[in-house]
Amino acid sequence: MQTLEAEIKELIISTMALEDTTPDDIDSAAPLFNEGLGLDSIDALELGLALHKRYGLTLSADSEATRRHFSSVQALCAFVAANRHQPQSSLPVGQLA
Amino acid sequence: MPQQFSISDWQAFAPGIHDRAGWEAWARAPSLLRGEDTPTLREMPPLQRRRVDRLGRMALQVAYWCQGDTAADVPQVFASRHGDAARTLEMLLALAREEPFSPTQFGLSTHNAIAAQYGIARKLVSNSLTVAAGAATAEAAFVEALGLLAEGAAEVLVVVYDGRLPTVYQAYADEPDSDYAWACRVAPVGDEQRGYSLTVAPAGSSTPTRRQLPHGLEVLQFLIAGSGTLALQEAACCWCWRRHD
Repeated sequence: MQTLEAEIKELIISTMALEDTTPDDIDSAAPLFNEGLGLDSIDALELGLALHKRYGLTLSADSEATRRHFSSVQALCAFVAANRHQPQSSLPVGQLA
Repeated sequence: MPQQFSISDWQAFAPGIHDRAGWEAWARAPSLLRGEDTPTLREMPPLQRRRVDRLGRMALQVAYWCQGDTAADVPQVFASRHGDAARTLEMLLALAREEPFSPTQFGLSTHNAIAAQYGIARKLVSNSLTVAAGAATAEAAFVEALGLLAEGAAEVLVVVYDGRLPTVYQAYADEPDSDYAWACRVAPVGDEQRGYSLTVAPAGSSTPTRRQLPHGLEVLQFLIAGSGTLALQEAACCWCWRRHD
C-alpha cells in the first residue's frame, strides 16, 4: 500500500509531465512552486484540477489557504488527508488519465 | 520587398531522415514522410520542454539547430498550415464530454504557442510571428520574412512545420499530409550567393495539379535541390519561386 505522500508525488510527476523526475527527487518539505521543483502558476491550476479529479477537492484559486496547502508535499498531504472524499480512487495514477 | 533573397542555412526534421545527406537524397526522389520519430530537443530546459508536444518538438528542434547561438535579436517567422490540430481536437472532444479543460492544454492551444515556448526558453526579445495561409503557408512566411528584411533585419529565421491531420479532418484535406519541420535563415542576397525570388500574380485559368507532397515540403525540396522554379496556385493567386543562378 502506497503512502499518501508517495501517491501525491506520483500525481505531481504525471500531472506536470516531469520527465526524468522520480518521487525520490521530490523533497517533501521543499517548496513546490518557484524555488524547489520550479513549478509555475499554470502548474498550480493544473494541480488544482488533478486534486479535484482524484480526491474530489475544490480549491479557490489564489486564496491564502490554497497557497498554504500548495507550499510543500507535506502540506498538501495534510490537506488531502483531512478533506478527501469522492471519488475515492485506489487506481494507480497512471490509469487515471 | 527585396527582389531577391538568399538562404544562409537550412535544417529539417522528419521521421526516417537523419542527416543532411538523407535530405539531399530525399530532395532528388521526394516521398511522404510519416512515422513516430520525435526529436530529443535537449537544447531546451526540461521544465519547459515537458509542455511541448511532438509537433512542437519537431518545430523547435529545427529552430534550435538553425538559429544556433546567433544573436538573440534575429526575428522569427513560424508557419504551420494546421498548427496543433490534434491538441485542439482533444480539447474540443473534452468540451463535448463536459470535462474540465486542462489549463496547460488551454494555454498551449493558440497558433503561436509553440513559437512562444521557443522565445521564453531562449529569452528572445525579437519580433516573433506565426502565420497560417492554407496551402500557401510557406509563401506567407516568406512574405513576412522579406518584409522584415526590408525593414532592416540582417536575417530572419523561418520555421515551417506540420503533422498528420487527425482522421476526422481528413475528408477536408486537399493535399497529402506528412510529419515534418524545416527551418532556414533568410537574408539579403550577397555578392557571391545564389539568389531566390518569390513573386505572386493573379491565378490563370489552369486547373491546379494534385500534389504528391504537402506544399510546405515542396518548398523545402525546391530550396534544397529542386528545379529552377516552383509554382503554386492557391485561391486567386499564383505564387512562383525562382532560383537565380
